[in-house]
Amino acid sequence: MLPLSLLRTAVNHPMLVELKNGETYNGHLVSCDNWMNINMREVICTSRDGDRFWRMPECYVRGSTIKYLRIPDEIIDMVKEDNMMKHKGRVDGKVRGGGRGRGGPARGAFGRGGGPGGRGGRGGGGGRRPDQGKGR
Amino acid sequence: MSSSLESFVGHQVSVITADGRVINGVMKGFDQAINLILDESHERVYSSGGGVEEVILGLYIIRGDNVAIIGEVDEELDKSLDMNGIKAEPLNSVIH
Repeated sequence: MLPLSLLRTAVNHPMLVELKNGETYNGHLVSCDNWMNINMREVICTSRDGDRFWRMPECYVRGSTIKYLRIPDEIIDMVKEDNMMKHKGRVDGKVRGGGRGRGGPARGAFGRGGGPGGRGGRGGGGGRRPDQGKGR
Repeated sequence: MSSSLESFVGHQVSVITADGRVINGVMKGFDQAINLILDESHERVYSSGGGVEEVILGLYIIRGDNVAIIGEVDEELDKSLDMNGIKAEPLNSVIH
């Protein structure tokens, strides 16, 4: 499993980031990229010595300044799920000869239809969330 | 091309970070930048006064820049350690 895949899976979950300068940022992960640059919302920044705090509605952190990220324990199981779905999609694609990517069976269940040519969201973890699907 | 870190995946490892912390956990993955996934991780805080404090950290992604040393843990040996009897100065951070 790749660290950045795990991080992508953690999108929309709370997490803690410590920077190399010792500051910590607590908040919800909004997005991340291949350089570990991250967007967060509802952030509480704590100073290096731990006695000053700042609240900010959002922030962007350059990946190279990060020391480590702490994410909820259950995220690791969600990555496995993700990979299994990807694999399943590939197998289905072969059987039916349609290159529709993953999540074929699930889409019907969430009522999005997904007509021919409709592509499942790849990467980012966004496409597979039922709640987001309903919202659109 | 396969890195020797591959053999650590799924095993208990001990990581010494550039800021001098010692973090133990199960390595779940890594990449070419030596970013690491550590599951069920805990920090061991050594002190010259004696006794090792274990701080539970949970699921961690450690950025490769911050990794100094990774070692596989001999779990049998590790369990037999008497943490209360260990005295050690905390490590300093890496000087760049």
